[in-house]
Amino acid sequence: MDLSLLAWGDAGWGDQMARGAVVTLLVAIAAYALGIVIGAGLAAMKLSAVPPLRWFAEAYTTVVRGIPELLVIYLVFFGGGTALRAIASGMFGYEGYFDLPIFLTGTICLAISAGAYSAEVIRGAVQVVPKGQLEAATAVGMNGSQRFWRVLVPQVARFALPGLGNVWQFTLKDTSLISVIGLVEIMRQAAIAAGSTKEPFTFYLVAALLYLGLTSLSNRGFDQAERWANKGVRRA
Amino acid sequence: MTTPNGTAALVAEDIHKHFGSLEVLKGISLTAEREDVISIIGASGSGKSTFLRCINFLETPDAGRIVVGGEEIRIKQNRLGQPMIGDHGQLSRIRSKLGMVFQSFNLWSHMTVLQNVMEGPLTVLRHPKQEVHDRAVDLLEKVGIAEKRHGYPVELSGGQQQRVAIARALCMQPQVLLFDEPTSALDPELVGEVLKVMRDLAAEGRTMIVVTHEMGFAREVSSRVLFLADGRVEEENSPAELFGNPQSERCRRFLASAL
Repeated sequence: MDLSLLAWGDAGWGDQMARGAVVTLLVAIAAYALGIVIGAGLAAMKLSAVPPLRWFAEAYTTVVRGIPELLVIYLVFFGGGTALRAIASGMFGYEGYFDLPIFLTGTICLAISAGAYSAEVIRGAVQVVPKGQLEAATAVGMNGSQRFWRVLVPQVARFALPGLGNVWQFTLKDTSLISVIGLVEIMRQAAIAAGSTKEPFTFYLVAALLYLGLTSLSNRGFDQAERWANKGVRRA
Repeated sequence: MTTPNGTAALVAEDIHKHFGSLEVLKGISLTAEREDVISIIGASGSGKSTFLRCINFLETPDAGRIVVGGEEIRIKQNRLGQPMIGDHGQLSRIRSKLGMVFQSFNLWSHMTVLQNVMEGPLTVLRHPKQEVHDRAVDLLEKVGIAEKRHGYPVELSGGQQQRVAIARALCMQPQVLLFDEPTSALDPELVGEVLKVMRDLAAEGRTMIVVTHEMGFAREVSSRVLFLADGRVEEENSPAELFGNPQSERCRRFLASAL
């Protein structure tokens, strides 16, 4: 293995791989944040008293969890581009070819899945918040939004933390699938470097180490968060 | 029913409530003057907890009126003619004057003891933080739990949690305290410490409505006792009369089995 291949600057691929890692991290963070918003919305629908909302949320999670992630990416990438071009030609008379920006597409694809999985986690967390604690908030004179933000959300966040940590972990790893639509993240960058240097093992090994670094660092972050969150939940 | 006295601390008038086809409350009325301690006793299923929960609209009554310090809780009707909360702002304000203590304590588990006691006055009443803090510490001292104020509810015994819950209710400076079987979830050896706090509150002239199975407390501390059976007030009297000379057969049988 020739470590000079990983030199910084024009001589090696070190800076490109690092840039790939930054793109991976950014797309993962964006997708995760959006996914939690989608998941919270779906969880609210699943717990709603309005049947069509429940049906929609159930259908969404069943479909998204039931088809491969890679297929979700293809569907969004090709379907989204086709839909956008149809809108452009129908409404604005623009006939040229264009695609969705790939960072945005990648983010949306991963957020769709992250949303489906975090919906289940959040719904479960809402259901284990003791009803009596919400009643106590009502009895003390809190209004709906005070109950929500002061009592429900802090506890849901605590109960959901382990599950949401898992969602983060696979969102981070699933960013590698986004390479198929051309986003230059770790995986894509490794493939480019491997192709040009004929040293695939070196670069895929580097890619693996980069993923491992990102996941173990974020695991440590979630562990810290859980320790903080469990103060009132378990015996100290 | 006559027009309620506007200066009474609390008036509940002809409260009805059903769950599905089960009629739980069939018209219950109660008037608490200031400094009254009213105990509500009866077999389980007699509707006493439901009645207490109707007072602060944790359950919306099907019919009847609740008047707190002269102000009636507003009710409106939905399209099906069922009663609904008429004015959420007004109800929240009135609830903040009715301190409630639950059977299962219901402390907020993500907050420390002190935060639990301070939360309502800060969030709902928007009192200044320093003032609320001092008041909370005083109350925790009064219920004998100040040294645990930075701990979490899970670290406390049931009796300690219930004393915190009482301090939490008191910190709102309520006009009336509602107790929903406050000692029923406690181990027998922890009941005494909670009852002692409640006796102290009664002695300092707090207005209290207490749903309880503690006949000793009802007999010694109450100014009046209501015996509920099948969703009605079967008997209402001074504790001396009700316990010493029960009028109805059901009340006699209940007391015989409870004492």
